[in-house]
This record gives sequence, structure tokens and C-alpha cells, in this order.
Amino acid sequence: MKLSKDFITTWILPFLGIIAVLLIWTAISGGVREEKTPSGFTKKVKTGFIKDLPSPLETWDKTKKYITQPFAKREELDQGILRFTWYSLIVVAKGYAIALLIGTPLGFMLGLSKTFTRMFDPIIQILRPVSPLAWMPLGVVLFMGAGKHANDLGALFTIAVCAMWPTVLNTAVGVRAVPQDYLNVAKVLKLSWFKTLWKIYLPATMPYMFTGYRLSLGIAWLVIVAVEMLTGRIGIGNFLWNEYNNGLYTSIILSILTIGFVGWLLDRLMSLVEARFKSA
Amino acid sequence: MPLIEIKNASKGFGHNGSKTEVLKNINLSVEEGEFVVIVGYSGSGKTTLINMLSGLVKPDNGEALIEGKLITEPGPDRGLVFQNYSLLPWLTVEENIALAVDEVFIDWTKEQRKAHVAKYIAMVKLTPSAHKLPKELSGGMRQRVSVARTLSMEPKVLLMDEPLSALDALTRAQLQDEIADIWLANKTTVIWITNDPDEAILVADKVIPLLPTSPATLGEPMIVDIERPRDRKAINHDKRFKKLRTQLITTLLDAKGRTKIKSSVKLTLPDILPEDLTNLNSMEFINRRGPKRRTDNKREEVEVAA
Repeated sequence: MKLSKDFITTWILPFLGIIAVLLIWTAISGGVREEKTPSGFTKKVKTGFIKDLPSPLETWDKTKKYITQPFAKREELDQGILRFTWYSLIVVAKGYAIALLIGTPLGFMLGLSKTFTRMFDPIIQILRPVSPLAWMPLGVVLFMGAGKHANDLGALFTIAVCAMWPTVLNTAVGVRAVPQDYLNVAKVLKLSWFKTLWKIYLPATMPYMFTGYRLSLGIAWLVIVAVEMLTGRIGIGNFLWNEYNNGLYTSIILSILTIGFVGWLLDRLMSLVEARFKSA
Repeated sequence: MPLIEIKNASKGFGHNGSKTEVLKNINLSVEEGEFVVIVGYSGSGKTTLINMLSGLVKPDNGEALIEGKLITEPGPDRGLVFQNYSLLPWLTVEENIALAVDEVFIDWTKEQRKAHVAKYIAMVKLTPSAHKLPKELSGGMRQRVSVARTLSMEPKVLLMDEPLSALDALTRAQLQDEIADIWLANKTTVIWITNDPDEAILVADKVIPLLPTSPATLGEPMIVDIERPRDRKAINHDKRFKKLRTQLITTLLDAKGRTKIKSSVKLTLPDILPEDLTNLNSMEFINRRGPKRRTDNKREEVEVAA
């Protein structure tokens, strides 16, 4: 059978890559060997290059209950992996929505007004590189008054604040990049300020905005893990942290793979939406 | 009273230190119903001139007036057709025109406005493409949409900034005829800017050369007394056409010759010499750091006149 070049590049090569990584992983991972001591007892001895790193097979063996029953709820801290993911996704969706609702108008203001940019750009540049781990405590403090919801609100605050920046900056760039030709059309037609915004700026900025939205979603998903570790909300990041404390390293690997896969899926989804607006 | 006029206007660009005068002593007056074409070289300030009338550019000195009132900003009484069409790519043909109509005829009913849009789409023969996006249209079709958008506002004067210069010669000829026909039917006042003398004489009542002096000024108007509709094939043999054409081209060329500005720019080449590759095995470069420098050899200057 002759394989087309297309088939090889889209399927065979990535497959080979995965096999290679699994082999390397197996090679460096540790295992357990039983040894007889002189006194007649059997002793378990850890072997391997990195003794505590579970091998791929061990990982599958110990975590398959999370995968094969992805939505099961056995106990509060013992649920299917997709159920945990779902909890996380809900929080991300809320925080992300807040980020877009604040970030888009903020980006527009930055793009439209030089004065506004001069005033707030330095602050934005300083706040932008701050890690989610640093925002989290402040978020909780800010919503202390909300009592038992302080943690939840703090989590949303952290996601929103961290995920906002790509949207803000891309929207601002997009607004500044609106061709003068279109603005001349608006001037000649004497469009009102609101109509110029709605009919010219918004559609012309759309491709930039969606690039920002895609990057923001990526960051929101990054932040959720840190947030859950700190607050103890149930979710995929919290599951990872608990299993680390329990010494169940296979679950850590499962969580990482799940987080990566979901992140990739979200990114694909957003880039489909983005492509739709690019072509317009 | 002329419908639209410019009095003693001048315009320069740049800041105080290095300000370049583009236009000086511009006097133009256009009567209602006239078809005036201004011909000039590329980059001689034609767009600046028409933008003084549209209100996108304010003259430094002098004034631009419409019906005796000072022009301070763009308005729907002066319809501007852009050189690059400037259609909004996210709106269909119909929506692009509707954007203008909805803005100008606010007190009309929805049906009236819709019919108005359809009428102008039909006028430029684009009814089958009414629901297409600009990217699905050819250059000529896009410019027709742009013309329809401007006409649909029923402006008192139609300002056309090199409307056909981005089109190929054949499409260009066809659109010239179409616009001339539309003008014959409506008799809107038109100020048309072009860099094509033939186009100018073919469509205009009155041709005004924009002399490429520095800064540019308007020359003597020439009246085109050839009856309409003009047949582009027959007109090539028309004596009046030939005479006007010669006169116009001579005026423009003479003005250019007279005021040729000499400018030379001294360009210095980067201080690097090419490696000598004739002797590939030479390890000469090992004994020096970096590339060969021109300054190491001798002083050499290359002058390029721009």
C-alpha cells in the first residue's frame, strides 16, 4: 500500500512523536522490584532513573477509573476526570466572560484616546506581568465582605484580571489600525459618534479582538489551576494538588495531560471562531 | 453665484521648520451643473485640492465655500468618491449604499429608503450583485458601488478623486462613458480629478490643468465645446479634441519643464566591502575582525541623484 504524503504528515509523524515520547518516558521512569533480604523477608526496592516517576503503563493502570468513568462521582475528592474538568471550566467561563466584558471596552478606550493611553498605559504595563498567584490573595481580601463566597469571588477576580490583558492590548491595537479610508467614509457620511463606533470601528477591529479573545482564553485556563490550588475549590487543579499531597503521582500526570488536552481543545475552538471573523 | 468655490487658498504640510507648500494661489469657481475636470501629475496636490472642497482638509490661507458658506467639515451636500473605493468590506453592496442613504434621508420611511438604494444600484447596473460583499466584486464593480453610494446621497456637488485610476484601461473607458451618461441624466455638478488628459477632455465641460510648479497652482481653464454624448471612437479624429489635447499636454509639460526642481541627495553606502571570493581558500579573513571596511581602503563617495 502506498501512503500519500498528506497522510504521513498529518497522522504518521505525530503518531511517531507520541511513541518516541512514551519510550523516553518509560526509559527514565521508575519501578518496584522485590528482593529477598538475608533474614527471609521480601523487601520492595525502587529502581529506575527517576525512581518516583510512574511509567506510562503504571499511569494508565492506576488512573483508568478516572478515565473510563469520566463523570462518576464517588466522593467529593474522588470523581471522574471530566467531572473535575467541568467544574473548572464553569469557573473559567465566568472569569473569562468578566475579562472580555471589561477588557474590550478598555481596549477601545485605549485605542481611541491618546490621552487615555498616556494616563493608563504605564499602569497596565506594570499590572500585566503580575502572576496569578500574586493576584489571588488580593482577590480574596477584596471580597472578604462576601463571607463564604470570598474564595469564589476572589477566584473569578484573579482569572478576570489575568486573562484581560491580551484582549485589552489586541483590541487597542486593532482600533488604532482601522484604516483612515474607513474613517474618511464615516466623516463624509457624517456618521454619528455612536454609529461610527458601531458600524466602522467594531467590525474593523473584530479580527484583532478575536485574536485577543483566543489568547485570553488560554491564560484563563492557565490561571484556573493556580487558583484552585490556592483556594481549594473542587476542580482539576485541586485534584492535581490533592493527589500530589496523597503521593499518587500517576494522577498528577493524568491531570497534566487532561489540562493540556482541554487547553488545546479550547484554543482550536477559538481559532475556528477567529478564522470566521478574519475572512469577513 | 458659483455653487462651490475656492478663494486664494494655499496649503502646506509638515511642521514649521520643514514645511512644504503644496498648493498656492488656488482660485476655483464652479457653477451649478458644470462638469469640471482638474488634470495634474501624480503627487502634485490634486487630492489635497479636492479634500479642501470635501472638508477633510482645511486650507492654511484663503477659504473654500459652498453656496457662499464656509466649508469647515465634510457634509452630505458634497459627495466624495474615493480613489480606492473605500467600501466597507463587511457590508454588502446594498448595505454599503444603505449606510449613506439611512444617514442622509433620516425622515424617510424604511420602504422609501430601500427603494432609493435599489434605484441607485440599478443605475450602476449592479442589481444582480446587490447582496455580494466588496471582495466578491471586480475593481470596476467596486468603483461603481462607490459612485452609487455617493450619488444616492443626492449631493449638490460630486467630488471625484481619481475615481478610475486604479482600473485597467478598458474598464476605465467603460466607466467613463457610464459616469458621463449618468451625469447627462442628472446634471449634478461634478468636480473630477484625474491624471489622464484624454479622460479629462472626454468627460468634461471645462478642463483645468493643475500646473506642477512648486507649490502647484491652477492654470487657465479650457472649455470643451464638443457636443454630448461623445463617442470615444469618433472623438479621436475630432479636430477640436486633438487641438485641446495638444494644448493641455503642452501646458502641463511646459510647466513641468520650466520649474524642474533639481535636488540631489547624497547617499552614503554602508562601511562594508564585499569579500573577495576569487581565491576561495584564502584564509586572509582570519587575521582581521569583522568585514572589510571601505574606510580602510580609501575615501570614496558615491552620489546618487534622486
